Amino acid sequence: MKPFFFTRLQYTSGNWDTDQRMPSNLLHSLVEYTTIPIDEKEKVVLLSSNDIFKSPFCYLSGHKLVEFSTQERDHFKRYVQNGGFVFVDDCNHDIDGLFAKSFEQEMSRTFGPKALQKIPNNHPLYNSFFHFEDGPPTTAFELNGWGDDLVHDYLKAVTINGRIGVLYSNKDYGCEWDYDFRNKRFLAVDNTRFGVNIVMYALTA
Amino acid sequence: MSVILTEAEAKALLQKVLKYSKADECEINISGEKRGNLRYARNEVSTSGAQITQNLIVQSSFGKKVGVATTNEFSDEAFEKVVRQSEELAKLAPENPEYVGVLTPQQYKKSSGFFDSTANITPDFRADAVAKSLELSRAQNLAAAGFWEDTHGYSAMLNSKQLFAYYPSTDVNFSLTVRTPDGTGSGYVARGYSDVSKLDTVAATRIAIQKSTGSVGAKALEPGKYTVILEPTAAAVLLENIFFNMDARSADEGRSFLSKQGGKTKLGEKIVDERINIYSDPANPELPSAPWAGDGQPMEKVNWIEKGVVKNMAYSRYWAQKKGVKSVPFPNNMIVSGGTATLEEMIASTKQGILVTKLWYIREVDPQTLLLTGLTRDGTFYIENGKIKHPVKNFRFNESPVIMLNNLETLGKPERVVSTESNQNYLMPPMKIREFTFSSLSDAV
Repeated sequence: MKPFFFTRLQYTSGNWDTDQRMPSNLLHSLVEYTTIPIDEKEKVVLLSSNDIFKSPFCYLSGHKLVEFSTQERDHFKRYVQNGGFVFVDDCNHDIDGLFAKSFEQEMSRTFGPKALQKIPNNHPLYNSFFHFEDGPPTTAFELNGWGDDLVHDYLKAVTINGRIGVLYSNKDYGCEWDYDFRNKRFLAVDNTRFGVNIVMYALTA
Repeated sequence: MSVILTEAEAKALLQKVLKYSKADECEINISGEKRGNLRYARNEVSTSGAQITQNLIVQSSFGKKVGVATTNEFSDEAFEKVVRQSEELAKLAPENPEYVGVLTPQQYKKSSGFFDSTANITPDFRADAVAKSLELSRAQNLAAAGFWEDTHGYSAMLNSKQLFAYYPSTDVNFSLTVRTPDGTGSGYVARGYSDVSKLDTVAATRIAIQKSTGSVGAKALEPGKYTVILEPTAAAVLLENIFFNMDARSADEGRSFLSKQGGKTKLGEKIVDERINIYSDPANPELPSAPWAGDGQPMEKVNWIEKGVVKNMAYSRYWAQKKGVKSVPFPNNMIVSGGTATLEEMIASTKQGILVTKLWYIREVDPQTLLLTGLTRDGTFYIENGKIKHPVKNFRFNESPVIMLNNLETLGKPERVVSTESNQNYLMPPMKIREFTFSSLSDAV
């Protein structure tokens, strides 16, 4: 079995280079809890390059505008429709923010206006490794976050043939998990466990 | 009779009170103090106060039945009455299974916490020092408010085994908040000393003024994880939660951040960056404190955390006896040894970060991880490429001082600070910390 590797998608609009410590922290959790062989090094792949089609799992995040070029849009769509998995995380943790608005617009352009839908909090994603009875776990940022005062108690997804192809979060898990993995031992409950679920779902669903 | 007794006067008085005792054991504590204060707001003094208090506390015991009575009436009749009261209460009380009895005489280190300079403060002196401060803010059309308080007093104890302890001390505390006329800029400063001659209200006021004018027009910055530089006033309110939680019993019983699964503790384990040394020492000249604990145990220099490793936890005499170890009283002061960097050097070496002047309204979220929450205030600034770029709106934070001390980048020079939460004084360095979690914005100034 080839080792799992973490792919970060680089797109031309906005900022893609966020949460630098998050991937290694998440990979550390995969080593700690699962038997999946891991490639420790994060790969950064241009959305416009063909390398995206070799990735088992992609991550896309940012604070700013998301507007794909024609080629980026074509790659994103083909990757997802061919069974790929992209975890998209809004670094603004704000459903009214620029990232949220422009990304959702981009998804409706790419997959159709109704493609991105809320997923139920009993979705298999929440039981793919650890069990999250109440759906997506909360983060430190959302109680009175970046101005909207909303707790985002759901995630959204683009589902292809009954399987999530694009998992979309306004909860800013990337920032929540952006810390040195050695500090995990001081947390009462490891908050990266949901990240393990996302990767497990992407690999097994 | 004077309120502030000399050692000989205190001893004579305590011996007199002890003579009334018919209990198996008796312990008498006495204290007296004189406080003076000035309160100011809108650049003017609003209150001038003085307070004199003295207290006598008698604890009597028959076997393990213990009673305590107190009085502030200092006459022979009152002394006898308070002793009888404590004895009656002891007889009525159920047995205290944790009562360990009074100590025999102990040897104490020398600690000099009493300064004539502070003891001799007059209302004129107070008014002068504060006037110099208020003139500065008035001249710049800024609004200053705050509080000055000086104390001089003593405490002493004597028990039926002839243990005698005496400690006189002085203290002065000056705090000031300066606001811009439109209310959008705010700066704060607090200074505490045993020796008032070290207090420079003019220099302190300049800092608060600079913070207040510099914090006008704060821009919102996205909450998230940032490199922060905590000034000592901000660091103190976080780290004192470590100090308060060094108790061995709560660690043994699984209630503290020093607990481990299965009744074990983190004693001997490295829990923070190895540059962190936390100790207490009653004889420290910058931060003198009483050389004896409330029950008469002598206070030694104790290393609580040495090179990041938990070296000592506080054991009450009861808990120490139960666990078969030496008792370690809770400290009367706490010192965090630092590095050599100045605040300016720490700012200059920061590519992107936030300078935090003050944290307030600290509340515990989880005692087992020591997760705390609270807010920044009175001047929070964004640093870019080694320079303060602009003020930023205040944040709420979610952070544990333990995690924080693992993300340590630089330690500055320690200085004496006043905790804005507990009013305790510490020696504390400024610190630069990676990945400090700001969870949301606050509209407060």
